Amino acid sequence: MRLVIRNTIHATMASILAGLLPTVIHAQQAASPGSGLSRRETTVPVIARGEWTGPRLADGQPDVSGHWSNTIGNHNSFEDPQGGGRATGPRQARAPSRVSDPADGRIPYQPWARAAQHAFAANFNNPTEPWQIEPLARCAPGGVPKSFYWHGYEIRQYPGYVLLLFTPGTRIIHLDGKPHLPENVKLWNADSRGRWEGNTLIVDVRNNNSKALFGREGDFASENVHIEERYIFSNDGKRYNYVATFTDPTVYTRPWTATIPARRYTEADEAVRHGWDYETQPANHDGPELIHEREERICVENNGPFGGGAVGVPLDGPIISR
Amino acid sequence: MSTYFPRPRTALRAVVTLTALLAAGISSASDAIPRLANGKPDFSGIWQTTSAADYDLEPHAGRVDAPSGAGVVEGHYIPYLPEAIAKRRENFENRLTKDPRLKCWTLGTPRGIYYPAPFQIFQRPRDLTIVFQFGHSVRTIHTNNTRHQDERDRGYWLGDSRGHWEGDTLVVDVVDFYDEVWLDRSGNYHSTDLHVVERWTFLDANTIEYRATLEDPQVYSRPWTLSVILHRHREKNFQLVEDYCFTLPYEEHYPPRPPQQQAPVASREAR
Repeated sequence: MRLVIRNTIHATMASILAGLLPTVIHAQQAASPGSGLSRRETTVPVIARGEWTGPRLADGQPDVSGHWSNTIGNHNSFEDPQGGGRATGPRQARAPSRVSDPADGRIPYQPWARAAQHAFAANFNNPTEPWQIEPLARCAPGGVPKSFYWHGYEIRQYPGYVLLLFTPGTRIIHLDGKPHLPENVKLWNADSRGRWEGNTLIVDVRNNNSKALFGREGDFASENVHIEERYIFSNDGKRYNYVATFTDPTVYTRPWTATIPARRYTEADEAVRHGWDYETQPANHDGPELIHEREERICVENNGPFGGGAVGVPLDGPIISR
Repeated sequence: MSTYFPRPRTALRAVVTLTALLAAGISSASDAIPRLANGKPDFSGIWQTTSAADYDLEPHAGRVDAPSGAGVVEGHYIPYLPEAIAKRRENFENRLTKDPRLKCWTLGTPRGIYYPAPFQIFQRPRDLTIVFQFGHSVRTIHTNNTRHQDERDRGYWLGDSRGHWEGDTLVVDVVDFYDEVWLDRSGNYHSTDLHVVERWTFLDANTIEYRATLEDPQVYSRPWTLSVILHRHREKNFQLVEDYCFTLPYEEHYPPRPPQQQAPVASREAR
């Protein structure tokens, strides 16, 4: 069978990820250009909500279009972003938990849910059942919130919309006040209704199928989760914090809040087609200015070894009849 | 005398006014289409064809797997090279199992445009972004005077798209394709050498004429052109509803469920 790897998840990255333990992955990231040095920040900057004094688009939205990526690690561990199962050294030497409330940095699971999370984590490296496979290994969309600490991503803005282009997955945030989809429609990227208040994009997220999970330790929500996101941008345009409150009586004992810091990438940064944070290439044109452009990202095969033959898009045989 | 002069003036004024109205009427045909602040046509919106193009680009009577259709190819038939027609026949024979759409693969260019599902265009002066409901894939058409990448080895599903304006028509040159893509459900196909030139033109504010000329020296004896009409979705609160499709075989396994609900397949069916 011909191995089909298209642009999104390149063979190089697949080999970096394949079969390596989390701590080794970090070492690989630090060792290759543009591949995650920024993800070694150990603190989360404070960005206060307030007025927006930066540039605006013609429709009045703060102009935050461009490329962004998180600064404190990947999806190995939600609660210990630079840790994961094999981390060594004092916890204080690493970035804090993405759980900013409660103060202990733990997701306030109900007992059954914590047990389910532990079961996933215990089987991650040697899955034998379909539910033990990290959905990203099958090219599934990263969903909410995992998309914000997987690869870098691009924000494009339009009157009435903010578009988030992830690897993989796409979110369309509606700013025009139309109602949410009916609640029985559950989606990988959920259904998003947003509005701007000063420097903050506030997004009401419902209709989440919650199938994407939060990462390799199996943290999760249910399809009943309601997420209120605040994207709080610094007025210098260089940083923002993603602050999201998760409410889900099916899984948690109380609402809790995640904080995920991100920084902007521009033409001042190195474009790396198959890197982590800023997957772009120089555009081909006659002008004097450097233009970095994003490539098509369509995942066909990803992280095969995790999950014993897991692949994304099926290579053989129909899966729909429509 | 003074009572006479106003009459011809009034008449003249009426003629001038009528002429101005006519001129306004004529120009309103082009002024009535949406435009960006820079004056270029604004294709932002959610679009879909009503044609049967995706079933078979060529003229066809109704059959078990396709409604009838007059075809969307100029000159009716795709000019296959003699050595390429065999593969097209084989594709047709196996169409109920081999169409890449059945595996939820990205539909490609131009198929994604006339596939019977909506797509949304988001437009800025520098580019147009197309999000397809089917597969939720994303295509960018660059309109910032950039050229194709010099390397043509990427094998994009949707191609490397560079657009420019010819009057109010968006002309898009698309190259660097992947070849495991069909053009329709009947097995029409192309190779990695496909070169597409699209022409997007408003017929009115809610209707686009979409034309695509396909050139592929491995498969066709000459360039050929297809044309479909795209209609704007204007239903109240209409929006794309993501349809990843290829995730369907494993969706039932996630997320974990409370002990009393651990029958995911059954619960899905009950819904």
